Amino acid sequence: MSEVLIQVLWVLGGVLVLLSLYIIANKALREMREKRAARIRRDLEPRILEYINGKGERLAALLPPPKGMERQVVEEVLLDNARFLKGNSRARITAACEDLGYVRERVRQLRNPRWWKRAEAAEKLAAMKSPKSAQDIIALMRDEVPEVRMRAARALGQMETRTSIKPLIEAFQDPNRWSALRIADILSGMGPEAADELVESFATLPIKARVAAVDCLGRVRSHRAAGLLIKLLSDPDRDIRARAAHSLGLIGDPNFTPDLLRSVKDPAWPVRAMAAKALGKLGRPEAVEPLREALKDREWWVRINAAEGLRSMGERGLAALVGAIEAEDRYARHAAVATLEGAGVLDQYVEKLASPDEREREKALAFIRKIVAAERTDHLMQTAARHAQEKVREQLSRILAPGEVKA
Amino acid sequence: MIPLAIDWHDLLQKSVIGFNRYVIYYFITLNSVYLLLFLVSLMEVVRFVRRTFFSDYQQILKSEMTLPISIVVPAHNEERGIVDTVRSLLQLNYGEFEVLVVNDGSKDGTLEQLVRAFNLRTTDRIYRRTLPTQKVRGIYASLEVPNLTVVDKEQGGKSDALNAGINLSRYPLFCSVDADSVIEENALLRVVKPFMEHPEEMVAVGGIVRIINGCEVRDGRVVKIGLPRRVLPVFQVVEYLRAFLSGRIGWSVLRSLLIISGAFGLYKKSEVIAVGGYDSNTDTEDLELVVKLHEGLKKRKVKYRIVFVPDPVCWTEVPEKFKTLLMQRNRWHRGLLQSFRLHWRMLLNPKYGVIGTLALPYFLLFEMLGPFVEVLGYLSVILAWLLGILNMEFFLLFLLVAVFYGVFLSIAAVLLEEISFRRYPAWEDLARLIWYAIWENLGYRQLLALFKVKAFFDFIRRRRRWGEMGHRGFRPAAAVPGQH
Repeated sequence: MSEVLIQVLWVLGGVLVLLSLYIIANKALREMREKRAARIRRDLEPRILEYINGKGERLAALLPPPKGMERQVVEEVLLDNARFLKGNSRARITAACEDLGYVRERVRQLRNPRWWKRAEAAEKLAAMKSPKSAQDIIALMRDEVPEVRMRAARALGQMETRTSIKPLIEAFQDPNRWSALRIADILSGMGPEAADELVESFATLPIKARVAAVDCLGRVRSHRAAGLLIKLLSDPDRDIRARAAHSLGLIGDPNFTPDLLRSVKDPAWPVRAMAAKALGKLGRPEAVEPLREALKDREWWVRINAAEGLRSMGERGLAALVGAIEAEDRYARHAAVATLEGAGVLDQYVEKLASPDEREREKALAFIRKIVAAERTDHLMQTAARHAQEKVREQLSRILAPGEVKA
Repeated sequence: MIPLAIDWHDLLQKSVIGFNRYVIYYFITLNSVYLLLFLVSLMEVVRFVRRTFFSDYQQILKSEMTLPISIVVPAHNEERGIVDTVRSLLQLNYGEFEVLVVNDGSKDGTLEQLVRAFNLRTTDRIYRRTLPTQKVRGIYASLEVPNLTVVDKEQGGKSDALNAGINLSRYPLFCSVDADSVIEENALLRVVKPFMEHPEEMVAVGGIVRIINGCEVRDGRVVKIGLPRRVLPVFQVVEYLRAFLSGRIGWSVLRSLLIISGAFGLYKKSEVIAVGGYDSNTDTEDLELVVKLHEGLKKRKVKYRIVFVPDPVCWTEVPEKFKTLLMQRNRWHRGLLQSFRLHWRMLLNPKYGVIGTLALPYFLLFEMLGPFVEVLGYLSVILAWLLGILNMEFFLLFLLVAVFYGVFLSIAAVLLEEISFRRYPAWEDLARLIWYAIWENLGYRQLLALFKVKAFFDFIRRRRRWGEMGHRGFRPAAAVPGQH
């Protein structure tokens, strides 16, 4: 038995030494590589920047033919700059990548058996923006690994060409929800052209992708999507109805008000909540009364969105909220008081208690009494204890005294 | 008639030999499990690093579809650092989020510091009291910082404070954060990613907890990472690396994660409410919540995920004194025992899947009984020596194998750190990590076993002492309000 233990000890000891050496060697090699790359970058970067800024016709003419680590560093410098440059400088980077063979090299890498290598190639081709790689990237959208498909989608999004919109919309079929959301983000960044294609293809999309697509249409803020979005307010799926209401609010055309007024009475609360929010954004006077009604909704989110909607409508909305603090419905009263507090209206009335104008003071007193009657007095009590003016503190304390309001 | 004389000496000898044999089998089984967990973690870390290379954090940050988060910070007598903590949380790199500080009946100036620093005023905010809590005395909002809310309530403990925060939170996900911890700037972006990938199934995500002792903190941010100078915290650095990188990652892959640190975890609010929120009946509310979630979701036969991700970092201070460490570990182990008592029906119950058939038996056999086997093992060696039956050569060799294996596991955790996140860039820190990975096995781990045995007896006696953690504080003195 002891012999077995001795053998185990030797094995363990050996593994420990190897592990420790591996950790140390790994760190040492990595740091050496990083230092060498930094040195090469210091040498080559000024010449690459000169080329990007317009010097010479070809980068290859300004540099010795890059090999090994130098080649990697040149590509890294070009792509680092590609991420924040536009216009002619950006086009010169693409030309350099094509000229030095980086595009060809990365297109070849798209067929690498390792998924992360394919993803890396797609990521780099996205930054190179070479039209020569577009077809290969479109083909990559059918890769078996979702991460690779996503990199390909991002690359197509960066190409900003009409040919890349169609495959992106097709990628909405991807069962992974995160992929659908990311594709929606990419399409949103591509503007109205993407919205047009999306409207055309909408009927072919699976349900889950439709929700993301509806959001995308709202974010592009394309009027051409309005017809479809209005139609979707009657869709059997409540998520689609809710997102359609939200998107119409984002587009922001006051003509959508009648359709959204119907949605604010939808049987599903997420639809009512989104419609209330959207109506607040459109700001039409005919929405004031329905939003005031929505303050009584049994769902918290609908009440809050209705109150916020009224608040965002300016004077008219605030007046409706002031009216709502006397509502019979307790929820409506509380939602109204909380929103008026948040908008600073309550504090304005408190300040008027010290006004030299008697009518102003009376008006303020009447308003504060309504707040007390609405049974939301935490803020007033705190103000009664801390307000800088004694006169205001006294008046508030008197109003807040038990029995005062009823009397 | 057969004489009934018992040879006590012989019986004792046989018992000691039998027990020692059991210890050897136990040792082999336990270390095989550890090795398996390490290998699973190694594969997952490599996979994770490859995936993270293609991270979408910028997209998560910019996307309008990113899920908003409510950060809930329970605070009890935290006047020393609460303002810094809130400031650092408000600066987090994330789209839409709110910070909810719950002042749990502090006796010091926690609330006053917050009111002064953020110009707070009371508000009549409407909220649904979904979870029962102690009375809320007031809700405060800030005109300057619209996404900050402070809830002042009567003292009810950390669980109660978290429940109050959940009641007031506006968003579908909430993140629990300790008031004395520092969350890294991009931690929310990283921790929310699993929710973005699997929004229907994801229920809870835990991030890694790292040790702030020895780091330089400025304006509520860790600006320079380094190992602590003192010995005890460095032991804990190695221990945390092992526990998180080769423990929790492995359990997460096996879909059996039972712990998400209370210092930093992201949860789906509706599911937490469905199981009744945090429980005040145990000393480790974080462990209890996760076990409750598993139990509730398995009962409802819902497809779900509770995962650990190793790159969202929460920095926290660890004890620098043995007494404080004893109190902390005592509480942790008591909490484990309390949760086990509450959920023992899940044990070996196939209805609860891998949780019932793998994770809970592991916790029973190795986490709860392990310290006893270890301590009794040492005692039986002494007894064997007294009885003259100790094979000294075998004992010393076995001891060496045990120590070498422990060192292997600790160095393997350092390896995982080095091939993945590399948070300790200095050569000196790496050398010290390897050095302490060796020394940690010669006393520190044995001491922890003793702490756990003591915790078991405290659990039997139903002692529920928290004790003061005696934080030294990582914030520079000048930044502490009201200190001269």
